[in-house]
Amino acid sequence: MTTFVLRRLVWTVPVILLVILLTFLLMRQIEGNPFRTSERAIPESIQQNLEEKYGLDDPWYVQYLRYVKGVFTLDLGPSLVLRNRDVNDIVREHFPPSLELGALAMLFALVFGVPLGMLSALRANTFFDYGAMFVSNVGFAIPSFLVATLLIYFFALEWGDIFGLPTSGWDTWQSKVLPTIALGLGPMAYFARLTRGSMLETMQQDYIRTARAKGLRWRRVVVVHTLRNSLIPVVTAAGPILGFLITGSFIIEQIFAIPGIGRYYVTAVTGRDYSVVMGLTVLLALIVIVANLVVDILYGFLDPRTRDARA
Amino acid sequence: MARAPRAATSHADIPLEAAPVTAPLAGAPVRQTNLWKDAWYRYIRNRAAVVAGAVFVLLLLYCLIWPAVSPYDPNDVDFSQAREMPSLEHPFGTDTFGRDLFTRTALGGRISIGIGFAATLVILAIGVAYGSLSGFVGGRLDNGMMRFLDALYGLPYLPFAIITLAVIGDSGFWSLVIALSIASWLTTARIMRGQVMTLKQNDYVRAAHVVGARRHRVLMRHILPNTLGILVIAVFLELPGVILGEAFLSFIGLGIGPPDASWGSMAQEGYKVYRVFPLLIIIPSVAIATLILCANFIADGLRDALDPRTRET
Amino acid sequence: MSETLLSVRDLRTQFFTREGVVHAVDGVSFDVHKGRTLGIVGESGCGKTVTALSIIRLLPTPPARIVGGQVLFQGRDLTTLPERELEDIRGSEIAMIFQDPMTSLNPTLTIGMQITETIRRHSKLSKRAARVRAIELLEEVGLPRAASRLDDYPHRLSGGMRQRVMIAIAISCDPALLIADEPTTALDVTVQAQVLDLLAEMRDAHDMAMIVITHDMGVVADIADEVIVMYAGQVVEQAPVLELFDRPEHPYTEALLGALPQIEDPGVRHRRLTAIPGRPPDLLDPPETCRFAARCKYAGGDACTQHMPELRELRPGHLVRSEHPASERAGTREKVAT
Repeated sequence: MTTFVLRRLVWTVPVILLVILLTFLLMRQIEGNPFRTSERAIPESIQQNLEEKYGLDDPWYVQYLRYVKGVFTLDLGPSLVLRNRDVNDIVREHFPPSLELGALAMLFALVFGVPLGMLSALRANTFFDYGAMFVSNVGFAIPSFLVATLLIYFFALEWGDIFGLPTSGWDTWQSKVLPTIALGLGPMAYFARLTRGSMLETMQQDYIRTARAKGLRWRRVVVVHTLRNSLIPVVTAAGPILGFLITGSFIIEQIFAIPGIGRYYVTAVTGRDYSVVMGLTVLLALIVIVANLVVDILYGFLDPRTRDARA
Repeated sequence: MARAPRAATSHADIPLEAAPVTAPLAGAPVRQTNLWKDAWYRYIRNRAAVVAGAVFVLLLLYCLIWPAVSPYDPNDVDFSQAREMPSLEHPFGTDTFGRDLFTRTALGGRISIGIGFAATLVILAIGVAYGSLSGFVGGRLDNGMMRFLDALYGLPYLPFAIITLAVIGDSGFWSLVIALSIASWLTTARIMRGQVMTLKQNDYVRAAHVVGARRHRVLMRHILPNTLGILVIAVFLELPGVILGEAFLSFIGLGIGPPDASWGSMAQEGYKVYRVFPLLIIIPSVAIATLILCANFIADGLRDALDPRTRET
Repeated sequence: MSETLLSVRDLRTQFFTREGVVHAVDGVSFDVHKGRTLGIVGESGCGKTVTALSIIRLLPTPPARIVGGQVLFQGRDLTTLPERELEDIRGSEIAMIFQDPMTSLNPTLTIGMQITETIRRHSKLSKRAARVRAIELLEEVGLPRAASRLDDYPHRLSGGMRQRVMIAIAISCDPALLIADEPTTALDVTVQAQVLDLLAEMRDAHDMAMIVITHDMGVVADIADEVIVMYAGQVVEQAPVLELFDRPEHPYTEALLGALPQIEDPGVRHRRLTAIPGRPPDLLDPPETCRFAARCKYAGGDACTQHMPELRELRPGHLVRSEHPASERAGTREKVAT
């Protein structure tokens, strides 16, 4: 088991390097000038000085290596647009809300979605099942900006006095409810459907029949045999979804005015603040990679067959 | 080998082949028809899939045809008619500028669905090429290609699309198509590879090799046609993701902008005034949701229809 | 004559599908006696597996349902027993092993866990005692290095070994009856013989009754004491095993035996294997006349095509459901052996 984990860990390093390289190369293709603060062109000499100061005039591989070194020493460089701030500062200030939002949404999705799917599978083809699946399908299809808008409209504005939920911000626990639901509803529906399908498929398997033939109590058959095996695809899907939740929450952050990195990201791209974009992208990629890594390891726990297969 | 005369045994007095054939009895075995017809019949039996298919087609027709025959000019500004609720004249109401929403939604649909299909086709093209190459050749090339794919999985979807858009420079129809497809082809490639590898093991492929067919011929004539089913399903699986992606990008202002409109940009406009006139954001969002719902049901129906592994007994 | 352990009376099981009702088991009756082995033989789809699964109600109940008949075991009717009491009987009084050992074991649990959970379910043994018992069982079924096997996962074992594990699980609680559904079909030929031998050994050692379901006449000849032949959801012939092979009565049984390659027969190289043309009737709408008539070479425009033949006793212990059993065909009146 430990070799398995170590193998996985070792593999993340080249992946990170590759991701940095790709992002770096992509960034270099973007035209634009981070130093331009107004419509007027900057004098040539000032431009050159600024470029020299930030090391932008060095050949690309030098810049790349310097950047890689920076990543591994946790120094993401200074912001090119916001003169007094380091990317590290920006990250430190704005990353936690996004992380928290993503984690909460994930928790919401799992806590409500998986049991819903499970119950639907156990009561397959009943009204409960049809109802639950209908709600899931709708919840999955509606774009999150509509969910967010409707939630705000009803729970914060129309019925605001009953619920006491604010329309924006990220300080009190009340302010975190609506954004979590808005972001987590889609994944919740997805998990419900996935769990249901997976459980139904698992229940068809021969080994479930064997378990019943052994006279095991139905509850044990469900929990120990069925559920465990059905959760495997759910765990597999959870990784990318967690990554998506943390890195793709731009819209929710914008709508709820949450001071996360989402808003910063978009402004940085449009403002051509290369270092911020690089830093944030690499960070986001790291999160996705870590999430996938955790999933891989969990998967190894759940399905012993993969431990023996070659990495 | 000469046929020896039948040795008489206690059982085979009369050759079994001479059994008299009577008229079909009750319970005669069911005849089989061809694969695609079977699939079609199975699809038809799934009511949700049929309804979804019909709605989908209706939606497509609406977006294609209505703008051409509509009495309203979608860009016709008329402030006296601003923000009307749905009525007979304006089935979807009007927007802030007094423009008929029924027509604008159809027009927006053209762009959103257009981007959706175009991006899906590009995704399929890349995914099929990459996946079948990797799966078919196998060995170290496959290993390497899959590792590369795994690495690419590390790139977060939305940020990657945003950067790609920035690289391309503008944010028109094709830019969005390219940005979205580049960020999304990974899953299709993986599915294709899996499918090709499974098919490769089939006996008829080995038979083709034995007969001496060249490798690319085996690929084209034997393996790829059998992936058709998966590809059709893949279309309806990718479509929602791409449409949602376009909607998101347009919503944050990086996508389609005026004078064109997509459902996403319409939602953004609607968002600005949602407190006073929520209809404006609801309509394009519901359109998106309807499309996604239909695509999901169609994909489910197709999957059931094309995968004859339902256990009845 | 040993006592009757299990008595199946006029069992009817149906599947309610979208296309209609499938009459999978249509009036099947038989008895199983203590210590004896009943073989149920027939081609795919004849209802033999469904019969077995109906005995302990392992069929998925939305599509399937036992619509008639009784299954009497130890004085109780299993078809109407509450689920909780049935769960007590499964695994401890009546055990079952299945066809495909690859898929019949949970891939994510160790062998040891899958054995001990059965033991601990039906007894009060502690975890450690159950483990010890599990090792004993594995040794009994001939699995080498039993103790280390306990912590292995199923995918580490070969097919034959997995089937042995299944047998170990089945006998772990000393059942009175073991139902084996095609126990050797998924295995290599050499392993088949070993598993059959093991089953016979277990039966003798534990004084178990057995029901062995198979489509392979060779397996029947090897291990069964009594045989019933099933076709299209019905019993068409029933006899002690030697009697069945020596003097088959039903045309279907004859055809089944005729399809066996006989190594010792002279002229075997020159004879074609006789196959039975045609297919079994669709059980969605089974005929109310003899169901084998369409493929039977003796069927004429007479009784067979007008009503369903009854299962009648031709000789003591030998029942047939046919209007044209071998001993009644014109010109071949057999002398009844006394």
